Amino acid sequence: MTIPADDTHGLRVLAEARRPAPGLDGPPPPLPGFAASGFNPLVADTADRCLRALHGAPPAPGRTALLLASASGDLDTARAIEQSAEPGRRTGPLLFFQSNPNAVLGHIAARWGLTGPVVAISPARAEPGRVPPDAYELAALLLADGDADRVLVVAAEQTPDGDRAAAVLLAGPTA
Amino acid sequence: MSGLATGAGPPGPLGRAGPVVTGVGVLSAAGRGLTALTAAAVHGKAAFGPVTRFDVTGRRTTRAALLPDAPPDAPPDALPADTARLDGPGTALPARTVPAAGAALDAIGQACRQAGLTTAEGAALPVLLALHSDESTRAIADAVAAGVRADWGAPGVTRVYTGACVAAATAVADAAALVATGRYERVLVAAVHLVGPGVFAVFDAGRALARDGELRPFSTGRSGTLLGDAAAAVLVEAAPAADRRGATALARLAGWGRAGDAHHVCRPEPEGTGVARAVEAALARAGLAPAEIGYVNANGTGSTLSDQAEARALRRVFGPYTDRLPVSSSKSVHGHALEASALLELAVTIGALESGLLPVNAGWLGPDPDVGLDLVLDGPRAARPAYALSLNSAFGGANTALLLAPG
Repeated sequence: MTIPADDTHGLRVLAEARRPAPGLDGPPPPLPGFAASGFNPLVADTADRCLRALHGAPPAPGRTALLLASASGDLDTARAIEQSAEPGRRTGPLLFFQSNPNAVLGHIAARWGLTGPVVAISPARAEPGRVPPDAYELAALLLADGDADRVLVVAAEQTPDGDRAAAVLLAGPTA
Repeated sequence: MSGLATGAGPPGPLGRAGPVVTGVGVLSAAGRGLTALTAAAVHGKAAFGPVTRFDVTGRRTTRAALLPDAPPDAPPDALPADTARLDGPGTALPARTVPAAGAALDAIGQACRQAGLTTAEGAALPVLLALHSDESTRAIADAVAAGVRADWGAPGVTRVYTGACVAAATAVADAAALVATGRYERVLVAAVHLVGPGVFAVFDAGRALARDGELRPFSTGRSGTLLGDAAAAVLVEAAPAADRRGATALARLAGWGRAGDAHHVCRPEPEGTGVARAVEAALARAGLAPAEIGYVNANGTGSTLSDQAEARALRRVFGPYTDRLPVSSSKSVHGHALEASALLELAVTIGALESGLLPVNAGWLGPDPDVGLDLVLDGPRAARPAYALSLNSAFGGANTALLLAPG
């Protein structure tokens, strides 16, 4: 496992995953129930790979929090929602279910039994494919505050050059 | 902000060390300020009306709770230098960008003035902001950042929370944690949601909105939620710091808790176990027994499944005491303000504690046998609870509980 050269705020990196990565250049597998955007499959697959790297298979033990960090947000869905308001356009019900970034976190939490806090932030600056400093800082606060034993951070960005994601599973220094 | 000690484990009781709220600012469908909002809530005066801001032709539902006046523009000195692009020709940014920032800054101004904050005290002030995630998120955050710099000397917007209907409650819990651990003497939390055509369209298509145009939490015949405008702000402060400044504590954040359902992308866990764990975490932080809670401002969206799960959660935590625990959802008056909802409802709860009157659960048609709560159905109802809870839940199975005591 490669420890990223990030300031982890003293947190231990238990596992990590990235997409794209060597051998993972194609799009992530489709995510049932999520349409119109590659953002949610990207988040779900990167999170899944990170959790599998440590736990092998669901469920994950203990109280794991989920923290999604994305400066771009789910741009494809946001644009589809804006277009849905245009006169005469019919809106599909699936867009409702993915109308905010928490929804895909619910998929990950249900699959892995993650019962910690579910949090989403939009950092001011984010380097696609890396976990932003704001996310490490907030993960440290969540662990210090005591409602989670571990934090799975997923950083995902949609860019004109393609979508990129990184995930880290974090624990406090003594957890 | 820099690093914190980590690995704290489950929360221990705060005792009376919880942070205090020294300023509250609100814009809602009830008008400007907490007094107008509290009056509407305790009298059960629902603020829903026809949507006129955009075309709702063809929607199943055509009602929402909108600000009585047009949202304020952000003052010119609150706009970033490149603001021209926000309204310029050819831009893809929606026109509500600046009104949303203006509304947030209005609420922030109310809260900071009430708290007696000086620009010197604002110089290191972290600002946590809850917003919807879309193409205008960053532009709104930048405009709010410019405003808090100009008005209060704050460095800018420290963090933007986009976690749907718990975004603002998450920000409040983080603010409380930052103050309680001594990292900061005070933290400003703000949130804004203005009803827009895109989100309205997808909520309507998802059959989430009430078909009969009324939000009826926990009632028989409830058919969904209704959206509402809101901008809200609170200044969270360490009690000794507030004392030194001579600032009045409007309420005390005695506890907070958050937990996930681990159940589904958008449906609540039917037994309310996630909500219950969030409430239990808040009680543990406060060092309180369930029977010490005297009022719950419930999430109560008016959704059939969500209200039922929340009622079960309350029964799970409060047991037989549930029969004597006053509960209402103030959404029945001001609507569902999504990312701003938790801060708006925290403000309502502070207003209730201050006024000694409980918000009414409006829109009631009759009992749902699957709910079984002691709902506040007539108002104003006088009560002086020692502690009150404000609950919120969101897509993704996110649940938050904020526990307040009078100031």
